[in-house]
Parts: sequence; structure tokens; C-alpha cells
Amino acid sequence: MSNNQSSQKRHMGQKAVNRISNTFIYILLVIISVVWLIPFVFILLQSFRVESTYQVGYVLPQQWGFDNYLRLWESNFKTWYLNTFIIAVVASLLQTVIVLCMSYTLSRFRFKMRKALMRFMLILGMFPGMLTMIILYRVLSDLGLTQANAVPGLILVYIASSGMGYYVSKGFFDTIPKSLDEAARVDGATRFQVLRKIILPLAKPIVIYTILTAFMAPWGDYVFAQYVSFGTSSGMNVAVGMYGWLTQDQINNWYTTFCAGGVIVALPVTILFLCLQKYYVEGVTGGAVKG
Amino acid sequence: MKRYSDLEYLRLSKGKKFLYKLASFFLGIPGAIGRFFLRIGRAIKNAVFAVGREFKDIGTTFVKGNIHTKISYVIMGWGSVFKGQWLRGLMFFLFEAVFIFYMIFTGSYWLSKLPTLGELGPTETYDPIYDQYVTTYNDNSFKILLYGVLTIFFIIAFIYTWRVNIRQNKIADEIIRSGKKLKSSKDDLRSLVDNQFHKTLLALPMTGILVFTVMPIVFMILVAFTNYDGTHNGYSNNLFTWMGLDNFNTMLSWDSGSGGAVQSYAATFGEILTWTLIWAFFATFTNYFLGMFVAMMINKKGIRLKKAWRTILVMTIAIPQFISLLYVSKMFAKNGLINEMLRGLGWISQALPFWEDPVWARVTVIIINIWIGIPYLMLITTGILMNIPQDLYESSRIDGANAWQQYRKITLPYVLFITGPYLLTSFTGNMNNFNVIYLLTGGGPTNSAASSASGSVGYTDLLITWLFKITMGEEAQYYLASVVGILVFVVVAFISLVVYNLLPSIKNEEDFQ
Amino acid sequence: MASVKLTKVKKMYDNKVIAVHDFDLEIKDKEFVVLVGPSGCGKSTTLRMIAGLEEISDGTIEIDGEVVNDLQPKDRHIAMVFQNYALYPHMTVYDNIAFSLRLQKVNEDVVYQKVTNAAEILGITEYLMRKPRALSGGQRQRVAIGRAMVRDSKVFLMDEPLSNLDAKLRNQMRAEIILLRQKLDTTFVYVTHDQTEAMTLGDRIVIMKDGFIMQVGTPTDVFEMPENLFVAEFIGAPKMNIIKTELTKLNGQYFVHPFGAKIPVDGDKGKMLADKNVPEGKILLGVRPEHIVLAQPGEKSIPCTLEVNEMMGSELHLHVYTEDQTRLIVRVPTIDLDNKSRSELVAGQKLNISFEGKVMHFFDPESEKNLLL
Repeated sequence: MSNNQSSQKRHMGQKAVNRISNTFIYILLVIISVVWLIPFVFILLQSFRVESTYQVGYVLPQQWGFDNYLRLWESNFKTWYLNTFIIAVVASLLQTVIVLCMSYTLSRFRFKMRKALMRFMLILGMFPGMLTMIILYRVLSDLGLTQANAVPGLILVYIASSGMGYYVSKGFFDTIPKSLDEAARVDGATRFQVLRKIILPLAKPIVIYTILTAFMAPWGDYVFAQYVSFGTSSGMNVAVGMYGWLTQDQINNWYTTFCAGGVIVALPVTILFLCLQKYYVEGVTGGAVKG
Repeated sequence: MKRYSDLEYLRLSKGKKFLYKLASFFLGIPGAIGRFFLRIGRAIKNAVFAVGREFKDIGTTFVKGNIHTKISYVIMGWGSVFKGQWLRGLMFFLFEAVFIFYMIFTGSYWLSKLPTLGELGPTETYDPIYDQYVTTYNDNSFKILLYGVLTIFFIIAFIYTWRVNIRQNKIADEIIRSGKKLKSSKDDLRSLVDNQFHKTLLALPMTGILVFTVMPIVFMILVAFTNYDGTHNGYSNNLFTWMGLDNFNTMLSWDSGSGGAVQSYAATFGEILTWTLIWAFFATFTNYFLGMFVAMMINKKGIRLKKAWRTILVMTIAIPQFISLLYVSKMFAKNGLINEMLRGLGWISQALPFWEDPVWARVTVIIINIWIGIPYLMLITTGILMNIPQDLYESSRIDGANAWQQYRKITLPYVLFITGPYLLTSFTGNMNNFNVIYLLTGGGPTNSAASSASGSVGYTDLLITWLFKITMGEEAQYYLASVVGILVFVVVAFISLVVYNLLPSIKNEEDFQ
Repeated sequence: MASVKLTKVKKMYDNKVIAVHDFDLEIKDKEFVVLVGPSGCGKSTTLRMIAGLEEISDGTIEIDGEVVNDLQPKDRHIAMVFQNYALYPHMTVYDNIAFSLRLQKVNEDVVYQKVTNAAEILGITEYLMRKPRALSGGQRQRVAIGRAMVRDSKVFLMDEPLSNLDAKLRNQMRAEIILLRQKLDTTFVYVTHDQTEAMTLGDRIVIMKDGFIMQVGTPTDVFEMPENLFVAEFIGAPKMNIIKTELTKLNGQYFVHPFGAKIPVDGDKGKMLADKNVPEGKILLGVRPEHIVLAQPGEKSIPCTLEVNEMMGSELHLHVYTEDQTRLIVRVPTIDLDNKSRSELVAGQKLNISFEGKVMHFFDPESEKNLLL
């Protein structure tokens, strides 16, 4: 009897401890969520502020309106946005093809130079990528693909070395059993048919993941775009263009417009991202760790 | 040091075990370095022997081969065409034709100029008709270097192809001798989507990497040995030329200019490198452990709305960094939202020097980086946490482990084990984390002592942002940027090598599988 | 339907590890050959070389008289069933089975005919529209077999097809494979690590170890006349008892002396020893557990102590140890024992065991070869 009671007590004790720790966790999670979301809420709120265009010490606008968005429309933002969109779409499609070719090959084929190739790319990756920009800029400018013509130039820059980013999708391909390939080959498929009929349908998550990440990188890239557009407004993407609004002498005029621009830039990717979240998570957790 | 057997080791006290492990780790370093060089030595030896074998093979193929094979030594593809593989032969022949054509008409010019990088810069001549000076552009150092490198690449490719052409002949001869049938051109084409499919798939990506990464890197390594900069752009103002190791001497010398008023390059480099390493360490490990912590909270049994919490964090990944970072950077500015709000509340009278004070700036950068990095780490660790076999926890609970012990003895080793390689890449990635630093602080606050070094240097500058700054502006010192880039490579490669060779978790790959 | 001939086939991996050494084997048309051996013996590698999934380092493989060394798997006209079934997860059962036919651009009506026909034979007609993940292990196995069946292949390759099934299902599928073989009437090469499967399925068995062929023969051959110690121990369960002892000869009669006993080698085995004129000396004596009997004390019997008594239903497995602590296994049919003697078989019980000359196997202690061959 007493034994029974004490075990019951211990049981209750565990439950209570659990409840306390869970409550604590909920509080922490709420704080975390607030901290993580608050800057974005602030951006959204300030994008509707009408009364002043500079930084202020409060968040809720005193006067609400779409003035900042109208200003966006009148500024060069349209060009930048279109540039960014074209670059991101084209680059992401081409990059996806390249990355898939590379990662599928390295995952599935055992050829003589395979190991050496992977080691070589590992070493290449240790050089700061920015270093190559110096020469690429000169070459692109010789080809006339900089400044006003930065869009094709940038696309070239983004896709050029994308084969080196094969790690994540190779990790995914590695998880598809090799015996499927073998079965298909015994069934009479060529290597190409194996890829098209067996692997690609199974690799849908990683294809979407690759498209998504390949889209997001140029969508928010600053450094390469800054290099290639080199101060010419019509060749800028949103990141470079909007960076200019926050410099010392511009910020007081353009701060709230920057917020509005930020909303317009972030909204489509965020929605796209949330829709495809499942695939992104799968890609990150499946492939990123294996390296 | 005395080596203990396994059973002896088990009898040691906890402290001694630790000391023993520590000692063996450090005593292992010379051995590892020695092995590394041994391996390099062996590789060189093998390479020499391989070259020797190649030459021998080339010789015997010539002696043994029939007349078509012999002609192939001069006219590539000849043998293949006459042995029925006309497609291969044609490709070989075309390649040779293009190569010879190129070498005669341009390649030889670039090669001959390569040792000097051009002698005659732009000249001005008086044009009496228009009564003005006209500039004539002559040699172009940039192009000489670029096309010189390209030509060398091309020559290497040619030698390789020539060798392949000979080997093809040898193989074909052997097949013919054994009475079997050679692969036809049709077979060749078909194999490109079948057993040679990898070549088809790799063609495009590898071309991209070769042209846009390998070539530029070779070029930039060479630039480190020249005086290529904004005032010697090799064409429109001055030519640039080879400088030997001068730039490395500049970068690595402790001798400061202007009588010691400003820092030497080496001192500046050392300071930035130290901060880069500190930054990479904190940026990696704060994110890592806090991300794991958040993931564990969300994953805990009994916590509801798991998906919602995760989605909130994941959403922040989607928002382009330049928006969030620039915005947050301005939030913490002198007259930014936070300072204004705090002032409004009357909590402070003077603005907090988030970006003005070196220490404040460095700490703030690391903290904001946590904000940036946690969602990503949370996702990664969530995946791993869910993969830990539940029976490990159940068995440990029966053994009497509490939550903290479970974390220490099961969760952490498991996660560390799987993310070991990721941690390494994340560390080196953070060393080169341009975005966070450049968009948050732009490298500031400025370090006036280090101003002798090209580009303004700030307290939060990483090597990579410094490199970027050096290449900007009128006097862009590309040669110095190259030196910095090479040094970054050396540091990253050294760290990777040490970690890969010494970390036990990478060695014992199968432990948890 | 075709013969398969392997001549001096060798497989060496990049790291110079040799998986298969000079493998010679001729498989006749419509023969069922089983490759069996412990894991890592090279049996799967050999099968995969026949399939074209592994490159051959040296030697030749012929299918139907044609050298196939350089042919891609798809051009070898083979069918293969994989250990983990390798069903295409994104296709229905119907599409899985039809896959190879569609690659050959066979008319859809014919595809329908063949697929439903195969499904009928295998009893999976009702699952044709399901995806593989909605099937049980046994059903997946059938689909995998069905996929191989519809190809009019020259050779049917099976790589441990039953090892992922539970014991009961495995027995059932084994019987079905025998039926399937009668229906298909083609050449089979079957890989397994399970000697029971090998014995029950194969016309001939190839026993392999460390990349070498240890013995090729019919199930009866390898069971009754193992060429070496390895085969002797590998075939049969529980495995053969091996006793270090001496062979002596007195007046033309051979004797063995296990644990101090003196047992005459009578019957055929004695004659064979005499014919081969095997010299006296140290030997390894092999006796299968089922050939040992409980006996009365005497010159011909070995005293020992019972350690564990495993009741297997129709028989008892007695683990005993002799006076010098050597462990032996004795298999006694339950039906031979009355209740009283069964109740006496408890741990610690002293027993006497013996065996006859005709069940003995003799091996050279050095070369481990069978002394009778």
C-alpha cells in the first residue's frame, strides 16, 4: 500500500516537473518568436509611415498611407526589381540543371577521376570567391556585360561555378538506393533513361530545393551585383539599389521607402518559401549535413 | 611518453585519462604532419614514375603500331579514321587543326609577351591636323596575362589530347589484334547517353568551373606576383609587370612606413586575422549550440504547435539578408530605432555606441549573427535529433540517466558526430562571411592605426571584407588583394587539414552508423 | 534460355583487394546453379559481373556462347531479382512490371497480356494498381520476381531474394521459386548465404570462400563427400563435429581414436581408405551431429557430459563435452527415446556416444583436404 502511494507520488512529481519545464519552454519560445519576427513587423509598419522619411524612435506610424510605395513606383526600383527577377529566374533554372548534372554524376558514377575531382573542388572552394570577381569583372566589361548590361553578365557569374555547389543534392542522391539504378539497367534502360525515368521522379524534393535556393541567392545577392553593375543604376539589382538608400547622406530621405521596398522584395520569396517549406527542410536536413 | 594498453588506460583516474588523451593528441601532431609530407613525397614519386611509364608506353606504341598508328603521332586522329572510328578521328583532327591555327596566329604572340607582360604602354602622339594629342594604346598587360594563361591551359589540353589519341590507337591495335570488333562511331555516340553518360553530364558544369573558377584563380595567383593595381591597369594608364615576391614581402613585413606612425601590413594582417578567427569561432559555436537548444525545445515531447514554432523561424530564412541585415544595422545605429526608443523611455541619455565602439561593435555583430543563424541550425539539428534512435534514450532512462546526462552522453555526441564535417565548413564559411559583416558594419568602426594598409580598415573587418575594400576605389591594389586571398586560402586549408587529420570523429566514421 | 560460361573471371577493386579469383564455371542451359558462401566470399560480386553491374577485371563471361564482357546490362538479355527488391517507388506494381517491356517499346496490348499473366501466376493481380510501399515484404518479393519474369531473358539472376523475409515466408517463397523454375524453364543463377536454400533449390551448388571456389557439385555430392573442411562445416546444420585424432591401421583394418576410444572404420569408408592407401597419422575426423548415437559404455564409445539439451521438436540437440573439454553436438530424433531416457537428459548427465565408420569424414590437418579424394 505504502509502496503504491510513494510510486504514485513520484509519478505526480514527474508530471509536475514536466508541466513546469514545458511552461518555461513555451515562454522561451514565445520570446524567441517575438525577437525573430519583430524586425520584420517593424519594417512592415514603417513602410506605411507617411509623416516622416527618416528613422524615428517609435514604431506605429502616426499617419498611415501608401506614400512610400508610390515613391517606390516613381523611383528606379521598378528597373532593379525587374533585373533581379530576370536574373533570379534564369540563373536558378540554369543553375539547377548544372547542379543536378554534377551531383547525380558524382553520386552514381564511379569513374577514374571522381575522387580527385571532388578533392580538387574542395580545394578550389577554399579560395575566396571574391578574388575571381576582379578578373571576371574585367573580362565581362571587355565583353560589354557590365554596368548597364549587368543582367546577362550577372547571370553568367551566378551560374558559372555553380557546379561546385553539388554537396547537398549529392547527399540526397546518395540516399536513393543504387539497386534501383541497377534494376533499371538490367531491365534495359540506358544511363540516360535511368536518370529520366527513375531518379528524377524520385528526386523531386531536391530539385525543388535546388531551384528554391538557386533562386534566393541571386534574389538577395549584394556583392557580385555591386561589382558588376558598378554604380550604373539601370544595371543594379534590388540589393545594390536599395543599399544606396541607406548611405549616410540618403538615409533621411529614403529610410521608409527602403522599408516599403523591403516588403515588396521579401513578400514573394517568403510566400514561395512557405509554400515549398517542406522541400527546403528536407533538403537542409537530408543533404546539408552529409556534406 | 608511456603508451598504455587499453586495459591499463581504463584503470587510470579521470584526470589522468584526460591528460593522456591531450598528450597523445599533441604528440600526434608531428606524426600527422610527417605523414602528410610523406604522403606528398609519395605522390610526387608516383607522379614521376607515372610520367616515366607514359613515355615508355608512348615509345612502345610507336614501335609496335602499324603505319596508321605512326602517322597518328603527327596527324592526330589519322589512325582512328583508318581503323573505322571516323568520328573520334575527326574530333582529334579538328582539335589539332584548331590548336595549330590558334598557336600560329595568336597563341605564340601571347606566350612571347608573357615573360614581360608587355613593354610599351600607351603613348601620346601629336596630331597636327586636329591640333591635339592622341593616345595610342599598345600592349595590354591584362590581356597578355589572361591569354597567356589561357594559352598555357590550351597547350596542356593539347598534350593530354595527343596522349589520349595515342592511347586510343594502342587500344584499337590491341582489339584488332585479338580479332574483335572496334566500337563504331554510332556506338561512340550511343555510349554518351549510356556508359559514358557521366562525361556528357559533366561537360557543362566542368567547363563552367574551369573557365570561371580555375582560370581566374590561376590568374589571380599570378597577379599576386605583379604590380597590377588601379594606377597600373595594364592598358589605359600604365602597364604592369612581374614583381617577384615583393608583394608578399610587403604584406608580411613588420616594417611600417612613415617612421612607425602607422601600423605595418603584417601587424594589420595579424589583427584582422585574429578577429577573423575569433569571429568565426563565436559565430559558429554560438549558432551551433543555441540552434541545437532551440531545436531540442521545439522537439521536446509534449510541446504543442511544433510546426508553427518551426515555421516562424524558418520564415526568417526566406527574407533576403540584405533587407534584414541592413534594417537591423540601422536599428542599432546612433540615431536608430533602439537608441531613440531607449532615449524616449528615458533609460539612457547618450546613444549606446553599438557601431562606434570597437568592443560593442564586435559583440553586437556576433549577437545579430545569432539571430541570423539560429533558424538554419535549428532546422539541421531537428533533422538529426529526429534520427537519434529512441531506444538509446529509453535504455539510458532505465540505466538511470537524467535529462542533462542524456544530453551530455547521447544527444551531444550523436549530433557532434554527424555535424563534425558541417562544423568545419561552417567555420571556414564564417571566416569568409562577407554579407553579415559588410551589411551590418561595413567593417567599421575605423581603425585609424591601421590606415596605412590599403583601403580603410575597421575593427570588425574580416580578411574577406578587407580584400573587397582593397579592390575598390581609384587605387585598387589588386596585387595586395591577391596576396590576402592566397593567405586566406592558406589559413583555411591549414585549419581544414588539421581538423580532418586529427578529429577522431572524422576518423572513426562508422561509430554511430 | 542459355548457357553461361565463366572463364578465369577475376574481380579486383581499385584498392587492389581481390574479391573473386580465377573463377571457372560452366552453367548448362536450364540449369539451376546456386552460389553459396559466407558474407564477403565474392558470390554476389560474381553474380553482378554476370549481370554487367560490376566490371570484370580479367577473364571472360559468355552467355549463350557470346562474350559479354563489354556489354551493358541492358544488352545481356538477363533478368535479375535484387535482395531489397529494388522496386521503383514512384510506379505502381503494374508499371514496375511493365517497365522493361515499355523500354523495349513493346505494344501496350502485349504489355497488358504479359503483365497480367505474370501477376496471375504470382497471385498479385489485385495489387496491380498499388505502389510498392503499400505492399508487404512477400508481395514486394513477388513483384520483383514478376518484373524479372516478363522479360524473355536468357538467364535469371537472383541475389539473395529471400533474405529480407521472415522465416515462415521464406520457406513458402522457396517452394514457390521451385514452382516458378518449373514454369519458366530457364537458366537460373541464385546467390544465397543460406545453405538450406542452396541445398533445396540448386541442381548444382558452388560453395565459395574468400573469392575462391571451394567445391562445385550436386547437393548430394557436397553433403556426402565435401572436398575440404570448409565445405564440410558449411553444409549441414548443426555443423559437423571436427575431432583431432589419429588414424591407425592394424591388419588391414583402419581405426580412429577419438578421445581414447577405438572405433574401426568399417564399411565403404574403410575400403576407400584402403584403396587410396592413406597412411597412418594425425587426421581431422568429421562426424555430423545426426550420425552420432547414444551408446553403452565400451571400447567404441566416448564418455562425455551433457551441457545443454535443446528441444527442437522432432529432435534433440545435445551439446556435450568430453573429458578433455572438447565440445560436440549430437542430434537425437525424439522418436528414438522413451520418456524415461528423455527425462534423464538434463545438464550434468554423464553419457556415452558413438558412431560408425560409414559416417566418418577424414581431413588432412595441414591442407584440410578430404583424404578420400
